[in-house]
Amino acid sequence: MIVYLIVLFAVTLVYFASAERLVIYIRLIGLQGLLLCGISLFELSEVNTANLVFIVAETLVFKTILIPYLLKRIIATSGVTKVHRQAMPGFYLLLLSILALLASVILANSLINPFVKTIYMTIALFSLFTGLLLIVTHKLIVSHLIGFLIIENAVFIFSLAVGNEMPMLINIGILLDIFVGVLILGFFGLRLKPHTNELTMLKD
Amino acid sequence: MLLLFFAISVLMIALILLMRNRTFTIIITTVYALMHVILTLHSWINLDCTELRYFTFNSTGVLLLSVLSIMTIPTIYHGFIYAAGDDTRKFNIYHAALIALMTFMSGAYLANGMTVLWIFVEATTLAVAALIYHDRTEIALEATWKYVFICSSGIALAYLGILFLGFIYGREDAANLSFSSLAFIINQANPMYLKIAFLFVLIGFSTKMGLFPMHTVTIDAHSVAPPPISALISTTLMNVGFLAIFRVYSLFSSSSILNFMNSVLIISGTLSLMVAAGYMLKAKHLKRMLAYSSLENMGLVAIALGAGGTGYYAALLLLVLHSLAKSSLFYQMGQLSRILHTFKLDDCGRYMKLYPAGALVLILGMVCILAIPPSGLFISEFLIFKGLVFNEQWFVIIVAIIPLCYVIYAMSTRFMHISFSNPRSRDAIAPAGKVSPVESVSQFIFLGIVIIMCFYQPPFMVDLINKSIEFLPK
Repeated sequence: MIVYLIVLFAVTLVYFASAERLVIYIRLIGLQGLLLCGISLFELSEVNTANLVFIVAETLVFKTILIPYLLKRIIATSGVTKVHRQAMPGFYLLLLSILALLASVILANSLINPFVKTIYMTIALFSLFTGLLLIVTHKLIVSHLIGFLIIENAVFIFSLAVGNEMPMLINIGILLDIFVGVLILGFFGLRLKPHTNELTMLKD
Repeated sequence: MLLLFFAISVLMIALILLMRNRTFTIIITTVYALMHVILTLHSWINLDCTELRYFTFNSTGVLLLSVLSIMTIPTIYHGFIYAAGDDTRKFNIYHAALIALMTFMSGAYLANGMTVLWIFVEATTLAVAALIYHDRTEIALEATWKYVFICSSGIALAYLGILFLGFIYGREDAANLSFSSLAFIINQANPMYLKIAFLFVLIGFSTKMGLFPMHTVTIDAHSVAPPPISALISTTLMNVGFLAIFRVYSLFSSSSILNFMNSVLIISGTLSLMVAAGYMLKAKHLKRMLAYSSLENMGLVAIALGAGGTGYYAALLLLVLHSLAKSSLFYQMGQLSRILHTFKLDDCGRYMKLYPAGALVLILGMVCILAIPPSGLFISEFLIFKGLVFNEQWFVIIVAIIPLCYVIYAMSTRFMHISFSNPRSRDAIAPAGKVSPVESVSQFIFLGIVIIMCFYQPPFMVDLINKSIEFLPK
């Protein structure tokens, strides 16, 4: 079951590369939250029940509900619905995304470790590369935010890989979620207006 | 003691936000400064002791904590002056965030494990965000957004580095990933894991240290941050970033990846120097120029660490002296903006005539920060190049010296212009404001210490630095 969920997670990452409407991005972020909730539920069998309930609740509340909701509000206030016209065309991004997947597979296989499952390592690296690609190739700050959220999901998958042995690492990762959800999205994201969407006032 | 410090700090922040009384805030903040000094004295007395399981008063942490303690009183004093015109709500938020920032930085200095260190570094981002957003303008929002976004990305990457350390250990009893527990297993670890962990930690914590390529975050923050906060971001907060990288570097230095780490640090340092030199020549904003100067100094610190040998001592000495010299210049920026009403270089001029004490601080500060004798920074830079010569790294020496020449040219011409020439811009300029020379006293004291350090370095400081680097390869 975990393998299916992880593969589905990888599919959402590939979909990010081809999508152009921000609302699709938000749905994918919500879906990723749901998938991470399922993965944690099945993977963290050795963690005590209270901790497991906390982790699953966090992925549901923050990753699946709160963050997509805040993103929707940001898009509504900024009035931008599509990625920037100067962003890299979807085809090239898709190509880069597939290259990133290949690189992740090769890197993960060269990093075989008794404490970590290779499939987690592969998807976490792929997620990291996809997030970085979105940040580098897109111009709008909303796209950058989504790229960052994907990187954050990569961190979460990485922490799940050692979650049974070191649950504290997952809890600290959750701190990052709360930090991002409340501060970046809730406080500053909602203050962005359409004309501040590219942030170019500060430069030399 | 540490528990008391954290508990009282939280209580002070809560009281400041709840009471909404300006005089009360001033009293509380002053008491905090004194409490911080007491904490530092306590840490000196209890060197190498562990408190609350997750904190140890180790030499590097105590050294940097002492620097923060020295800076606490002038930062708070200049903060009172800066925020004097604000309404009570803004005044209180500013001071609550300032106390929070200093507490988080203190926690980061004393943390004895990667995870606790990471939590405190993450927390500093929250406090700095509140301080950068102090003016509530659109440009402040942009700077804050960029700061929070890039720092968060950096923090996420640094956390990946920590997770890689977790993969190496993979056992429950290492949940804190304490430096002492990791030290035992580093030599058996897969070097590839160590390299990846180091790269993630370096890139991630570079957002705090201000190294290339994550330097942009602090540069933009300086454009809008209140000058006393710029003084902290540019010095003690950069020291937090350095400390995180230094801890991992020290941990891995006994492994086979030492040469890899040194090469990465030297590349990052020289690139930082080049970027700093280029942008200092281009900068039109005084505080941004000083921020690029910090990038240059952090580049030198990275090179010093990469050079090894005498470079280790030089790196720590440079951090201490840079903190004192750069904070003086940033405190002075607060006075300069009240006299000239601008930070634009083209609109600045005749500062010596308008405020001689301030102009003297600028000139002395320039001499100190550019490492021109009798600045103590000269000793540290001399030791860095000595280390590079010893290693026969001639290419690095050439690549480092050329941008340094540009930095000296850029900074000296601009500071001389501000002090002695008329403003370049012909537009009407508001009448000059009045500032008491007493406000510059703390800056003269700091610059005096930097100059004295060229001739005499107190044994207690030398011992602390030597203790910090005793386990590094000779």
